[in-house]
Amino acid sequence: MSSAGDDLPAISPAYSLRTTLSGHKHAISSVKFSPDGSLLASASADKTLRLYSLSDPEIPFRAELTGHSEGISDLSFSSDGRLLCSASDDRTIRIWDLETSTLLKTLTGHTNLAFCCVFNPQSNMIASGAFDETVRVWDVKSGKCLRVLPAHSDPVTAVDFNRDGSLIVSSSYDGLCRIWDSSTGHCMKTLIDDESPPVSYVKFSPNGKFVLAATLDSTLRLWNFSTGKFLKTYTGHVNSKFCIPATFSVTNGKYIISGSEDNCVYLWELQTRKIVQKLEGHTGTVITVSCHPTENMIASGALGNDKTVKIWVQKDEESKED
Amino acid sequence: MNVPIIDPLQGDFPEVIEEFLQHGNMKCIAFNRRGTLLAAGCVDGSCVIWDFETRGVAKELRDKDCVAPITSVCWSKFGHHILASATDKSLTLWSVLSGEKIARVTLQQTTLLARLHPGSCTPSVCLACPLSSAPILVDLNTGSSTVLPVTMSDVGTGTTHPRNKFSDGSPPFTPTAATFNKCGDLIYVGNSKGEILIVDSKNIRVQAIIPIPGGSVIKNIVFSRNGQYLLTNSNDRVIRVYENLLSQKGAANELEEMSNASPVNEFQGIEKLKAVGSKCLILFREFQDAVTKMQWKAPCFSGDGEWVVGASANKGEHKLYIWDRVGHLVKILEGPKEALTDLAWHPVRPLVVSVSVAGLVYIWAKDYTENWSAFAPDFKELEENEEYIEREDEFDLVPDTEKVKESEINEDDEVDIMTVEKDSTFSDSEASQEELCFLPAIPSPDVPEQQDKYPASLSKLEESTHSGSPFSVEAGQNGQAHPASSPLEVVANSAAEDAAVNTGVKRKRKPSAKGLELEAEKGRKPPLSKLIKSMGKPSKAKVKLENAQDANDSVLDDAVTDEYI
Repeated sequence: MSSAGDDLPAISPAYSLRTTLSGHKHAISSVKFSPDGSLLASASADKTLRLYSLSDPEIPFRAELTGHSEGISDLSFSSDGRLLCSASDDRTIRIWDLETSTLLKTLTGHTNLAFCCVFNPQSNMIASGAFDETVRVWDVKSGKCLRVLPAHSDPVTAVDFNRDGSLIVSSSYDGLCRIWDSSTGHCMKTLIDDESPPVSYVKFSPNGKFVLAATLDSTLRLWNFSTGKFLKTYTGHVNSKFCIPATFSVTNGKYIISGSEDNCVYLWELQTRKIVQKLEGHTGTVITVSCHPTENMIASGALGNDKTVKIWVQKDEESKED
Repeated sequence: MNVPIIDPLQGDFPEVIEEFLQHGNMKCIAFNRRGTLLAAGCVDGSCVIWDFETRGVAKELRDKDCVAPITSVCWSKFGHHILASATDKSLTLWSVLSGEKIARVTLQQTTLLARLHPGSCTPSVCLACPLSSAPILVDLNTGSSTVLPVTMSDVGTGTTHPRNKFSDGSPPFTPTAATFNKCGDLIYVGNSKGEILIVDSKNIRVQAIIPIPGGSVIKNIVFSRNGQYLLTNSNDRVIRVYENLLSQKGAANELEEMSNASPVNEFQGIEKLKAVGSKCLILFREFQDAVTKMQWKAPCFSGDGEWVVGASANKGEHKLYIWDRVGHLVKILEGPKEALTDLAWHPVRPLVVSVSVAGLVYIWAKDYTENWSAFAPDFKELEENEEYIEREDEFDLVPDTEKVKESEINEDDEVDIMTVEKDSTFSDSEASQEELCFLPAIPSPDVPEQQDKYPASLSKLEESTHSGSPFSVEAGQNGQAHPASSPLEVVANSAAEDAAVNTGVKRKRKPSAKGLELEAEKGRKPPLSKLIKSMGKPSKAKVKLENAQDANDSVLDDAVTDEYI
């Protein structure tokens, strides 16, 4: 099921599989923990979102959100955990109320598949990226599109807000990461390297000073966007086809976590850049990973025949070898 | 003094009107500490709180008792409360989060300017400046008030004998002047003899007097955000900037000590107060318009204290003058032909917000020229042509000096992804967890125009669609009924405009008429077809206004947005 790193410096204790959640009828596209750690949400190509409750160790299924007319690519929780937004192939972003599990608003405006969405920390705005090469900023209260940023020349693969919501970073298949001022919509910076492989994912670090970018040449890079240079490179996984998010794990030591097309979840130590664990168990490409905000828990979702969400935890005892 | 105009490109001040906000008839405005929320007092007695980031209405403070026009609004330090003064002689304290009225006090006179004590999180003491008499300190819990001394000759009686008449003589715009200092332990009072009195806010004793050159009536007295500078606006058409020599914290104690220390102690009475005063404020600059000699209205500092903005008080003019602190006039902003009633500079950004007599709030911002090198980092923007001298081997087929491509970055260096740098703009951000910066955004539910597309909509809205007129877009976001004045044939387009207007924001600078034409040209089919259905029942559309929950016709609005951006 799980294995600690072989000849690599092992993470101690190692992560091992806790539960497998099934129920989606098609490939999973995204999993996220709520900011207070009480809920897990998963989005899928079967046009639904599923909510699981984490307060119960069984992690029971709580609710299903239907309403999209096409598959869903991304989801995001608001900071207070009351709202959820999802981006779908039906070109809309939808806002859901989690207490009643109903659809609140539909944000229309993108002219092609909506691919990624995120709430800002104040949760009064949503940024979304789509295949129409633009990033749109929406007002949560009224649902109006506040800004359309002419972000890229290829589909936008990821958007993220920084810690105080003042900056937006966007990435695209055109090989660029761009940083925008969220209040004015002006471009602040473009991060570009010599070769420009399609950037499949981008995210701000917890303190908002660095940007983690995944590119389709199986590489993850940590950029200091003020200087425009990257500081760390993480390799070893396989990522050349899909937009696989990577994330920071900071609850127990600092790690970078990413899914991979070889069906494993990879964990690197942040500073040394070494792979400390590979979590095996999925039978399809691990398309999404997420870290619990307070506990040492990782959730991952897979494509293809797998269609399950797996929860991995660190055992309290010394690392087990099966 | 004639001042040269410096190059406006260098400055961090606004230049053009970016946008205007409309919601009811707004009269006065105030930013919260961080500039994320803007409170506006309206003619109908309500206060509107705008989310400044999204330029949408975040909350409305309404109460059936408060129906008189608001004369001033003031935030508490951490943004949890708002104090509003109205023409029915009342002061109302509101809780921002709940939208409830906490306290209401009725005074002897209408207050023109009310300020909450800036030192505490839950202030109960406020300073009220009435129309033509001395400022008073009001305790909002008990309703008791203490009159502040305005001259040394009549301490406690609070009567003034104006030597100079007010120039325009129109009462609503002639405030008496007083302000708290940054911590609230001192009150600076500007009287009609042209003197600034520093009064201790605890024991109401005059600690110092600073006479202003010219000795004319002081109309406004305002501190900069960091408390280092003070400006006075006098009837002699001069704005004077003083440097505050007292420290920001513990100023009252400092004054007390200064009074007791020698050589000041050797003076008596007024002389002593003036001696102390000379150690508190130093005249820094004077601003006036030597050419037109105009009276100023609502002067204030920029957030960082580098700029001073004042509005011309001439009838029907909407002109803003911006000076740098040294005294150069850097910009004159001219707005629409509507007189200005209030003015505020954003605490952080180079934005100015002005209120016109028509009840609209105009937002002035920098005119942005796109920074193209942000889009393409390996290009450099040049101001003018530069002669390029190529390298010796630049165009060789195999250049001798290959570009060094190895990164000089040591990838083993430690990277800190967790520590957050403190924001230096706000000096006491240690209590920022308690600060209310944002109101939670509750999405107002959609009106399902295309009900086949949204099967998961709320049942209540489904009922209203069945009754045949889903077009409740005329209703404002908060359920205010606005008459559907435009003919129903073009209701799709004008309703979009109406909805945009009623929900309080006009985002597009281009004239809406053009938008309507383009909309009509494009001929968005689904909403128009709905229109034709509802055309037959205009009365029902109007009745639905009260029941409608939302003005969201996101399809239309975003279609319009598509055209422009």
